[in-house]
Amino acid sequence: MQRQVALIKQSLLDQGYLDEQFMELEELQDDANPNFVEEVATLYFKDSARLINNIDQALERGSFDFNRLDNYMHQFKGSSTSIGASKVKTECTMFREYCRAGNAEGCLRTFKQLKKEHATLRKKLEQYFQLARQAGPKETARRPK
Amino acid sequence: MTVEQDCVALDQFPVGMRVLAVDDDQTCLRILESLLHRCQYHVTTTNQAQKALELLRENKNKFDLVISDVDMPDMDGFKLLELVGLEMDLPVIMLSAHSDPKYVMKGVTHGACDYLLKPVRIEELKNIWQHVVRSRFDKNRGSNNGDKKDGSGNNEGVANSDPNNGRANRKRKDQYNEDEDEERDDNDDPSSQKKPRVVWTVELHKKFVAAVNQLGFEKAMPKKILDLMNVEKLTRENVASHLQKFRLYLKRISGNQQAIMANSDLHFLQMSNGLDGFHHRPIPVGSGQFHGGAAAAGMRPFSPNGILGRLNTPSGIGGVRNNLSSPSSGMFLQNPTDLGKFHHVSSLPLNHIDGGNILQGLPMPLEFDQLQTNNNKSIIAGNSMAFPSFPTQQSSLPNNNNHLVLEGHPQASPSAFPGHQINKRLEHWSNAVSSSSSTLPPAQNSNSIIIGHQFDVSPLPHSKPDSLEWNTQNASSSYSIPFFYYDSSQMRQSGNYGPTTDAMLSSNPKEGFIVGQQKLQSGFMGAEAGSLDDIVNSTMKQEQSQGDLSEGDLGYGGFSSLRTCL
Repeated sequence: MQRQVALIKQSLLDQGYLDEQFMELEELQDDANPNFVEEVATLYFKDSARLINNIDQALERGSFDFNRLDNYMHQFKGSSTSIGASKVKTECTMFREYCRAGNAEGCLRTFKQLKKEHATLRKKLEQYFQLARQAGPKETARRPK
Repeated sequence: MTVEQDCVALDQFPVGMRVLAVDDDQTCLRILESLLHRCQYHVTTTNQAQKALELLRENKNKFDLVISDVDMPDMDGFKLLELVGLEMDLPVIMLSAHSDPKYVMKGVTHGACDYLLKPVRIEELKNIWQHVVRSRFDKNRGSNNGDKKDGSGNNEGVANSDPNNGRANRKRKDQYNEDEDEERDDNDDPSSQKKPRVVWTVELHKKFVAAVNQLGFEKAMPKKILDLMNVEKLTRENVASHLQKFRLYLKRISGNQQAIMANSDLHFLQMSNGLDGFHHRPIPVGSGQFHGGAAAAGMRPFSPNGILGRLNTPSGIGGVRNNLSSPSSGMFLQNPTDLGKFHHVSSLPLNHIDGGNILQGLPMPLEFDQLQTNNNKSIIAGNSMAFPSFPTQQSSLPNNNNHLVLEGHPQASPSAFPGHQINKRLEHWSNAVSSSSSTLPPAQNSNSIIIGHQFDVSPLPHSKPDSLEWNTQNASSSYSIPFFYYDSSQMRQSGNYGPTTDAMLSSNPKEGFIVGQQKLQSGFMGAEAGSLDDIVNSTMKQEQSQGDLSEGDLGYGGFSSLRTCL
């Protein structure tokens, strides 16, 4: 079972959904923090959902306050980076560039893409965590301290 | 074994180091917390900058280090950084996803000791303790100049297990001391650590001087002084820089009138505090000293420190000016008896005279001229204030910071002179000064004039009539009025008290004060002239509007007392 978990994780990494940062997080997980990664992921999704909402609203308003959008995205990028959500991070970066260029169309497009990636990641991670929980204490991430 | 112990001890220091982590992003915060735990630090987290500030203010010693995100909704990370540096003097590390050099630069200029990029790696966090040690080390170095071998227990490395304060840094300090640190400067490194500005209130200065006196002026070391003073939140650096200024002040006052030290305190305070400087210090000690030789001669110069300090007054004050410098110490009037001790009020406020530099050469002198013509209008604008005699005069002086605070020795005042007022003023002033640092206590009149005259009553022949003369003199710029009449507006009056002042200085401070008459010629003494200038300049920020001083009477009030001293 754990192997399965490991495999899934590996695939996520390979596909670029996650990056080394995620590995680092897993390392932080230990007996004292058995579900650390999951907790963090949950937090992340909660926060990012909120951000996405905000951005959605801002975009819908059509006002295109690039500064503000950029700010939101900066935040989003920050948390995505921290959790190792690599694809999401990439989309964030693109979005910000469009913002800086004042390219509304580009922003909208990118944002859609971003939302997609985000949703995908979320699903995958949920799967992953579920399996991991079933599999018991993770050994893969554990490394001798 | 010792070495090992040391090593071990050192190794232990980072363990348990107390970190405050601030980040509005919950995800990042959680991760950061975990990373820090992994480094074996003790972590407190909050996602609001305000809350972080509260936690820090609640107990400054609760944390060793602060890590803060840059982009936060309730407060800019840089602002938080500044505040923490200023108020708590803790090392702060900035954290951000922005790798833009602009931000990093901003972090540096605001005093951050490091800037980390997100996502943070644990390796980087493993080393952040160095900032804590470094900052302590620097602090010690700065304040310890002369204080090497500060035996504070540093003992070989021990204490490291005690993550907080000091231990590791004490250890370093020892080493450092051994190494010979001679730098004696303030070691203020504004760029890296913004230390909270310490307001040297009268009380504080009193303690300081007491400590210095107790230790012996020559041997006073910042660390020891600090210990003696036993004031919380005062750092060695603060003491060291204050001590340095104090020494300069003393030197200026007159070569080695160390004795005057006591008196000088006030004066000194005034000088150094600039605005805050108005400390009213009843210098009991030395009071006589100053008078003595210095007084007479110096008294002139006694120009109210700071205030006139510079008496640049080309006009008449010139002469006085110089004198004034010496009096700096004289500012403190020692006459307990009569003068009630005018304490030289902050010379600082003088700076403001007109635009603030009271001391700077005191525009006063010029003013003085004007004053003369104006009839002291401004000069003593302070009159209204400080001098007890003038209680009311203040009128002209606006109460702004620049007020000259006349410190009449509150103590004596009741008896010696109408001093009450002054005292009150002083008190007000002290309060005001300390609290607002710039605004002089509204004390009775807006223009609180702080006159730092030092009254050395003894040497000066007090004679009432003098004061009168003095008054009449108005124009005679030569006043050597020691006191600084610093009216924000008028401050400039560098009071030179000119020669007349000497005479004027009647023994009765009270009388001298011309209570009503004081038309202190604007000649205020430019405060200690010279040396004060520097200090004053820096401190004095007030701008005193000259115009205010119109009523010179006040200023003189104090002045008269000065005369006595001289």
